[in-house]
Amino acid sequence: METAAIETHGLTRRFGALTAVEDVTLRVARGQFFGFLGPNGAGKSTTIKMLTGLLEPSAGTVEILGQPFWAGALELKRQIGVVPEGMALAGRLTAREYLRFVGRMYGLDRETTNRRTDELLEFMQLAGETRKLVTDFSHGMQKKLALAAAVIHGPRVLFLDEPFEGVDAIAAGMLKTMLQGMIQRGATIFLTTHVLEIVERLCSHVAIIHQGRLVANGSLEELRAGVASSLPGAESSQRLTLEEIFLSIVGAGGQEPAQELSWLA
Amino acid sequence: MAGVGAAEVAALARPGAGPLSRLARAQYAALAAMRWQLLTHGLRSAEGMFELGARGISCLLYALLGVGLGAGLGVIAHSLVLERNWQLLPVLFWLVCFLWQLVPVALASFQQQFDMSGLLRFPVSFSAFCLLYVVFGLGDISTLIGVLCSLGILTGVSVARPDLSAWVVAGLAGLAAVNILLVRVILVWMDRWLARRRTREILSALFVMFLLSLQLLNPALHESRANGERNSEARAAARRTMAEEMKPLLNGVSAVQQWLPPGLAVVEMEAAAEHRPARALAALGALGLYVLATGALLAVRLRAEYRGESLGEVPSQKEAEKESGGWLLNGAGPVAAVMEKELHTLMRSMPLLYMIGAPVFMVIVLGSLFRSSASLPGHPYLLSLPLCVAYALLGPAQMIYNNLGAEGTGIQMLFLSPTPIETVLLAKNLFHALVYGVTALAAGILATLILGRPNGVVLAATVAWLLFALPANLAVGNAFSLAMPHRLNLGRLTRQRGSAASALLTMFIQTTLLGVAAAVFALCLYFGRLWMAVPVFLVLAGAAVFAWLRVLHNSDGVGNGRRDLLMTTLAKAE
Repeated sequence: METAAIETHGLTRRFGALTAVEDVTLRVARGQFFGFLGPNGAGKSTTIKMLTGLLEPSAGTVEILGQPFWAGALELKRQIGVVPEGMALAGRLTAREYLRFVGRMYGLDRETTNRRTDELLEFMQLAGETRKLVTDFSHGMQKKLALAAAVIHGPRVLFLDEPFEGVDAIAAGMLKTMLQGMIQRGATIFLTTHVLEIVERLCSHVAIIHQGRLVANGSLEELRAGVASSLPGAESSQRLTLEEIFLSIVGAGGQEPAQELSWLA
Repeated sequence: MAGVGAAEVAALARPGAGPLSRLARAQYAALAAMRWQLLTHGLRSAEGMFELGARGISCLLYALLGVGLGAGLGVIAHSLVLERNWQLLPVLFWLVCFLWQLVPVALASFQQQFDMSGLLRFPVSFSAFCLLYVVFGLGDISTLIGVLCSLGILTGVSVARPDLSAWVVAGLAGLAAVNILLVRVILVWMDRWLARRRTREILSALFVMFLLSLQLLNPALHESRANGERNSEARAAARRTMAEEMKPLLNGVSAVQQWLPPGLAVVEMEAAAEHRPARALAALGALGLYVLATGALLAVRLRAEYRGESLGEVPSQKEAEKESGGWLLNGAGPVAAVMEKELHTLMRSMPLLYMIGAPVFMVIVLGSLFRSSASLPGHPYLLSLPLCVAYALLGPAQMIYNNLGAEGTGIQMLFLSPTPIETVLLAKNLFHALVYGVTALAAGILATLILGRPNGVVLAATVAWLLFALPANLAVGNAFSLAMPHRLNLGRLTRQRGSAASALLTMFIQTTLLGVAAAVFALCLYFGRLWMAVPVFLVLAGAAVFAWLRVLHNSDGVGNGRRDLLMTTLAKAE
């Protein structure tokens, strides 16, 4: 059996008395576009941080491309790219300077760094912003730059935490095409987002985390079938959207707000 | 307005025009509550407790300094008033003003500033915005020292002439108001001037002209000093001649200063002492006009901030063209990459440049003080150069002691990349060593311009001390940076969060390093072999380099172990 791109066993993270992520065991096969969903505060970003070495697990193991992954696994870090929650940008550099900095930090040679920087800036429609500092970029532009920085070294596994947030429709379309191209060339993508339509369109497999625990994991079809079987009209499973599946699993479906905010205009 | 009742609308406090409107008062209460909550939440962690403790110790130290200065000024004021020597009293008032304005310049990067921009999303009126800006700053070090000095003068004068107490309180209160506002005017206008390339270039040109004028003045001053050193008679004669020559100038200065705030405060007291209430009231009124004028200058800047002014700027076209052509540092590796990033960040951040530049500027003040008091017995004139250089290095030391502070969310990138933290810190250390060297050189040149060419042995010992102090600072700096980092605001001088704990420890380490230097110099001078300081410092430098390499070697483990805290502290929202 081929080693997985990402594999975790009993991944747990506690912050004092709070358990943010508990006993998460999952396997993401190579070449998969994997959607990782959950409501706010469910533990998605904490999980991504543990998967990318930004946060030490309290318990459990992480393997990337078949090797144990930890903060000091430098060679393995060359194989992964990350768009983290905070985007990890250097505000006082221009986009070009930042991408060159990142390229060199990943050990790319001068020529490759320069060439890829130019190509990425062109692709992300940031080539015209040579004079602007990153701190003066709009949120969407910063997202595009963070994505460019995450892929400049050609990672085999890409972790994306809300990559489409604030990105305009045209750029989002291009990014989706780019990500699908990466999948076709054998890369693995681990995506978290609240935009379920994107997951539905791009991802072949989905996991749902709720209150720190993994509550669903499988292909979209498997999830659909699982949810449909628990509903009264089982024959309607083909029509279930990911949003309906999600709401059904995390338990918010059909609930009315406890109190109507009648003072709102 | 379905669903929104009249009672609910009425429950919203209306934005009033005045700073004491119902809404404004509610906002002050909310802000006070928020700051209290921040304080109590901070105490939940060991870092927060340590920070609060450090803040308490800092306040105590500065309060002791203020009490000492205030007592001294009080005694002098008491004797001057008893002797009816009203001509010399303004000197004390000018000294207080000088301290009040100079302390923030020297400590700006150590002090916590309140970022007012966060208030703009709320319906805060402009007057409330201004009031909050002034009130928040009342807890700073310059106000503490200034108020204690003023209280000292008040006590001295009141004991000598109890009948003048009310007038002295009024005069000193007016002077304090001018000083409190002027400190803020200087900081906000400096923020504005330093943020724009054009005004920055003008200020730089003025500074260079000032240095050139020092260079021109230097031969004349040294000729006068050389003549003065021949013998005591010649020196006394030279003093008399100079006093005669200076008399018209001093008279002119005295006449002019009477129209400035410290002079007006003294005029008011003198007039009250001579039972001329109209003149005293007029002087007090003029002082009030200064308060209004300073307040207006502050309001101009605050109005711009209130309207959401952005002081950000983009690199010039020339710079952009230049950077698109190639890399500044030729190496492709991460060390060159980090150094180049550090250079870009430094050159585009006025707070960082100010942090380095302000102590260098203070060398002019220190050097002048050394020059003017050189004839006092036991004066360490011989060691003026190392003292000036050591003071100037307080700026780079702050960068070294918080070398991850400028990363912000970029800290995540450092942990995501396959570059070990050891390599990142090595690159930062190399860059900071360069800044350290350049600053030491600049301070040395400035001190030489003011104090004259240094003794060769002193120069060699100073260089040897630097070779010891640099790796020692880098070793401690790496440990501090990983243990207690704080985020720097790279855009605005007046929006620093600061860290009292970091500032206190920085000062402690600097004082220790200076103490070692002083002890070595004192011992060598005692034995009449100053040259011995050079090999002693070189041996210490060897030990410091060893310590630095050890800390660097361990930094990977420590950094990775603390990465969660580092990211939480540096990448958290402003």
